[in-house]
Amino acid sequence: MLKSTHKPRQPPPPPPPLPQGWTEHTALTGHSYFYHAQSGQSTYTRPIEQPQPPPPIFPSPSSSWVNPSYNNSSNGFAPQNAYDNNLRGRGGFHRGRGRGDHHGHGKPRQDDKPKHRYKIPGCAPWILVKTKLGRRFVHNSETNESFWKFPEHVMKGVVELDRIEREKKARRERGEPSDDEAGEDEQAIAAEMLAAASRVEGDAQGASYAPPQRDAGESSDEYEEVEVTDDEEEDEEGGPSKRPRTESQGPEDPDQPVEFGEDDIAHQLAAMGAEYDLDPEDYDGGGEWDQGEGGLELTEEDATALFRDLLDDFRINPFTPFDSVIENGAIIDDDRYVALPNMNARRRVYDIWSGDKIHELKKRREAEEKRDPRLPYIAFLDQKARSAKLYWPEFKRAHRKEEIMRTTKFSDKDREKLYREHMKRLVLSQATLKSDLAALMKSLPLKSFNCSTTLATLPIPLIVDLRFISLAPSIRDPLVEAFISTLPPAPTESDNEEEEEDEEVMTRKAERDRREQALRERENKVEEERRRQRRELGAGKAMLREEEREIQEAMRRGLRGDVEMGRA
Amino acid sequence: MPPIRSVRNRKPPPDGFDDIEDTLLDFGNKMKDAENASNEGKSRKQSLWPIFRVTHERSRYIYDLYYEKEAISRKLYDYLLANGYADKNLIAKWKKQGYERLCCLTCIQTKETNFNSTCICRVPRENMKDEGAVECVNCGCHGCSSGD
Repeated sequence: MLKSTHKPRQPPPPPPPLPQGWTEHTALTGHSYFYHAQSGQSTYTRPIEQPQPPPPIFPSPSSSWVNPSYNNSSNGFAPQNAYDNNLRGRGGFHRGRGRGDHHGHGKPRQDDKPKHRYKIPGCAPWILVKTKLGRRFVHNSETNESFWKFPEHVMKGVVELDRIEREKKARRERGEPSDDEAGEDEQAIAAEMLAAASRVEGDAQGASYAPPQRDAGESSDEYEEVEVTDDEEEDEEGGPSKRPRTESQGPEDPDQPVEFGEDDIAHQLAAMGAEYDLDPEDYDGGGEWDQGEGGLELTEEDATALFRDLLDDFRINPFTPFDSVIENGAIIDDDRYVALPNMNARRRVYDIWSGDKIHELKKRREAEEKRDPRLPYIAFLDQKARSAKLYWPEFKRAHRKEEIMRTTKFSDKDREKLYREHMKRLVLSQATLKSDLAALMKSLPLKSFNCSTTLATLPIPLIVDLRFISLAPSIRDPLVEAFISTLPPAPTESDNEEEEEDEEVMTRKAERDRREQALRERENKVEEERRRQRRELGAGKAMLREEEREIQEAMRRGLRGDVEMGRA
Repeated sequence: MPPIRSVRNRKPPPDGFDDIEDTLLDFGNKMKDAENASNEGKSRKQSLWPIFRVTHERSRYIYDLYYEKEAISRKLYDYLLANGYADKNLIAKWKKQGYERLCCLTCIQTKETNFNSTCICRVPRENMKDEGAVECVNCGCHGCSSGD
């Protein structure tokens, strides 16, 4: 029991003097009670001066449809008092967390009264009643039934009604029915106002009230909510007993006993539900949100593609095994990681992805291979071997740390051969070297070597030729530039391939954007769901607290006192 | 006198070895850790479990690369087998039906058991009589039946 953590109450202030005619007595059980000799009344509560009539729990207005009936609550909760009575009757949980004493205050819910009635289109006898605090229930004017929880057939009508109202509201906010006139910014402002309004109202109305003008009104979840809470009074009270409704709302009040875990609450809700013969949806509509919810518009392919995007983005080496990737843990924090439901699916997708990636890599390597493996070595020679001073072994030793001299791609023999040839050419006269270069350049096809070529984009066959590097760059570059300027432009040919490639890239990008949008939407939905669940938990907690208070009250007075009270 | 082989003049590994070299080094480190781990409080067989495990993982990695993803060349695959990166015999079993997920070769040595049967880890889950989690004695396998 958590009772031990409960702080003892302060001793109550000395009671006010009794009004005339009342006397105080002590019952056999030790309770003190009060007796009025003239009227023969006896009560456990201390009478005060100018005794008032007890405040009505719910002022019933004259018309019959407003007061939700107590008796026929077969289909869900009958609002207000029926619900309350149920709570009062149970004695399941003795948790030491009375929420202040607010029987001293007037019942705040007496402020809540029906305000508007709307005809529900398509469900003739049913009407939607909106209370002053913005809560809604449906009432059947023929059978005099009222429900907080909308029955199935009425639900459709309510959804329709809400839609109409939303449209009306939107039109009003735009000022004019002309839709195309409304600029984007105006719409944005309207949306913002709407959001702000709903936020404010959400704050004011307590945790479990869903404002009807919320944007997500299309989802039917809103209508399934049990909108009965006793939270509303907290704002009016503003007393020291005001406490955070959900775990996330703030640090724990030190005066309060320890907070229940969410599991606790869920368990209790379940127990209560069982006692009241409720479906789990009634108190726990959002139980499924973490299972990915089937209705979300993220298809399996999308999820797969998202995961592949994730792998692409993190530049995962496709040669690493899946376990190492997970162990590394970089991808786990990404949202797209949870697009796939379980580890097996992820492993499967990873295997396929890595296979594809490796093949892609292979193809690219092959293309590179076709270019020339000697390319980096020739460039290296061009840079480092500018004089014929060194023999091969000396050159090799001098540069043995270089990657290019160690790579296994290129055998030492080839390196030596190229080096020796290069050295031989370096001792030739400049004129021969120049004429050789000119001959080489002339031999190149016009397609790859034309007037649009620059020094940075010289064709590969030219660069890998020893005749090209025999001349020092300072002499070579002006020569090459001069030669390029004499060249005609490249022969025209269709650039269809490139265009196709571009198109493909574009479509791929569009696809990806769409997937990411879908993921974002899903996340928003899940977040919404989570918030809703939290709110419902808050409501459950409030109910528990209320009940707790009742139990303590009853214990304080004793059972007989309760009975007495009922009679009085 | 045979030629002296060193790192310098060794024959270079086939193409594609660079890609998987890091992973193989990782596996090598894991193997070293497993070899050097203390076997205090473990049975003689139990102290070998991590070694079996790393061997299996590494062989599986190479098997997948060659047979499933076709990511490495035959030449490289042969090189890896010859240099002891993967267990050739274990891979030979994986290619056979019913042995696709075999954990180690000891577990199918029927002659080493009392009733000429395979190890417990070869028994499909559905045929077990709610024994919960099993760990085989040979290699610590939790179940490697193909149907699981």
